Amino acid sequence: MTELKICHLYPDVLNLYGDRGNVLCMKKRLEWRGISCSVTEVPIGERESLAKFDLFFIGGGQDFEQGLLLDDLRSGKGEDIAAAVRDGAAFLCVCGGYQLMGRYYETHTGEKLPFIGALDLYTVGADERLIGNFAFESEFGPVVGFENHSGRTYLGEGVKPLGRVIHGSGNNGEDGTEGARYLNCFCTYSHGPVLPKNPALCDGILAAALTRKYGRAELVPLGDLSEREAHESVLKSLG
Amino acid sequence: MRLFLAILLCKLSRWALRLLGRGGTALPGTLALKLCPDIVARLSRDMRCCVVTGTNGKTTTCRMIEKLLSESGVEAMANRSGSNLERGIAADLCANAELTGRPRRRTAVIECDEAAFKRVCGEIQPEVIVVTNVFRDQLDRYGEVTHTLESIRMGLEKAQRAIVCLNADDSLVASLAPDAPDRVRFYGIDAALGAGSDVSDAPRCIICGAEYEYGFHTYAHLGGFRCPKCGYSRTEPDVAVVGVDALTTEGSAVEIRIDGEVYPAAVSLPAVHNLYNAAAAVTAGLVLGVAPESAVKSLAHIESGFGRMERFELGEARVTMVLVKNPAGCDRAIEYLSGIDGAAAVFCLNDGTADGTDVSWIWDVDFERLFADPAKAPHELIVSGRRAEDMRLRLKYAGADENAVRIVRGAKELADEIAKIPGEVVIMPTYTAMLPLRAELAGRVGRKEFWR
Repeated sequence: MTELKICHLYPDVLNLYGDRGNVLCMKKRLEWRGISCSVTEVPIGERESLAKFDLFFIGGGQDFEQGLLLDDLRSGKGEDIAAAVRDGAAFLCVCGGYQLMGRYYETHTGEKLPFIGALDLYTVGADERLIGNFAFESEFGPVVGFENHSGRTYLGEGVKPLGRVIHGSGNNGEDGTEGARYLNCFCTYSHGPVLPKNPALCDGILAAALTRKYGRAELVPLGDLSEREAHESVLKSLG
Repeated sequence: MRLFLAILLCKLSRWALRLLGRGGTALPGTLALKLCPDIVARLSRDMRCCVVTGTNGKTTTCRMIEKLLSESGVEAMANRSGSNLERGIAADLCANAELTGRPRRRTAVIECDEAAFKRVCGEIQPEVIVVTNVFRDQLDRYGEVTHTLESIRMGLEKAQRAIVCLNADDSLVASLAPDAPDRVRFYGIDAALGAGSDVSDAPRCIICGAEYEYGFHTYAHLGGFRCPKCGYSRTEPDVAVVGVDALTTEGSAVEIRIDGEVYPAAVSLPAVHNLYNAAAAVTAGLVLGVAPESAVKSLAHIESGFGRMERFELGEARVTMVLVKNPAGCDRAIEYLSGIDGAAAVFCLNDGTADGTDVSWIWDVDFERLFADPAKAPHELIVSGRRAEDMRLRLKYAGADENAVRIVRGAKELADEIAKIPGEVVIMPTYTAMLPLRAELAGRVGRKEFWR
């Protein structure tokens, strides 16, 4: 029987902006195709072997809780997460969860907070937030969402962007890149949540996880009436 | 002279706008503030002001305080026209003032936006402040809940003579208590009325970050919280709803304990969140001199604001309109809706500035609850508004059949469709989606427009 084991990392502190909708979306789109899945939540303070999971989700959070999170990552979990990325497990990381996959976050006072360094990228804090509906072109076609971040993220040599900005700011508002892709790790600033309105991206991530586990992915097409219309309504409103 | 001119201009421009058939206080208030930047301070100087802020329940709590005051013989002015920013408050203070600046009504109940609160408090110097609750709201505008909290804290620091009425059950709000204990009154609910929600806006201690333990929950993150690590915990409230005998679609029968004495009370607005509003209003009323018996009695005579759990009949439909602005408020509406068997549900989702341009929050609302038991699911689902497609998508993932969810655009078309539905209909619009709809419905059901 085909089955994916999903791990929702830090749902207790990284749960802003309807992020849990991403997990719901992955789960439904597997179930609608008769593929079973389980979702395990791993909050702060819980040490669980991450090697058994096929697919990870990490969302965005509030600044207030960041200190707690850094402590927990330093207790060894950060290393486990980085190992899972290297091992080819599928990841979707959004906003704060995206930033923490990088090497560090530099606050606008110049302090460097070390992150887990699973991906060669870093983020610099700024005063002005980049906020609004936005869209970018990816290998799965256009992706629409909402961005709201003060950090500017810059990608290193070995990391590809997830896409190119069509409308909005993306990673840093400068170089036209949005998000990051490294092995099977997909990162984006698009919350909202990102997956329901972008079913092709969701299926792309599911396919990556299935291929790694079973050597192939068979995802029968779904109707996607509401998905398509919601996607198109945002694209249209952006002009 | 500047004050005189500012008041005159404000009054004239409001009058002119009304002649044009438009409401609104933004322009008149902005004009008044331009001419006389300290107009709010000057017009409120000789007044007793009660300022109400917080994420949800501000408007209803203000209406309740007004009612408590008027039934005890004090007619208060209020910024009822809906603008709770500094300019709206300025416009309503002008309307209450004679051209000399002398206030007509000497007591004011003022609703104030959380972000505007820190400025308004410095100007007004309130005698009483009520903080209702802090939930995730329009994150694109306010940022995170800790920012909202900080904004309120800064306002409180500027209001050094105010008695501060705080929600004891909200760990975020209760943390705002000033160091002077004689300036704080707590209100709350001493009854387990619900379970905690999946997505709490405050799962961890605001002081030390450890996860709270709860003795009981009322809704969302509200309840008997206690931090096992640093000991920060709920304070025993001065005014508490202690017994809940009945919760119906028309209202609640409860007992309220005020400084140790228990009074039976009927609250004429439904649902648990209105019990918090009632407790808040009683607490503020007592500080303003209303007798406990009188305060409790007045709770039976509260009428809802238009769009705030207001009930009316339209054609075949028995309608409840519930303004929804954020996950916590929408969750309350869903709870109400799921308590009515065989209701129809209408969602109107806009993404204007006043709604929050980010509609992500709909994914934090437990719409799944509506579809858990197919026999009790809404028999009809309509979505409307600029983000109707997002709303339908949310309902699909919550368990609705997407082909059974209708998209209806336009206030007139929507009102036509609603009028055809026999039985209970719950309409849940966001703020800017409600305005055209309420105007359309007001005409049909013969209610006054909101700004008159």
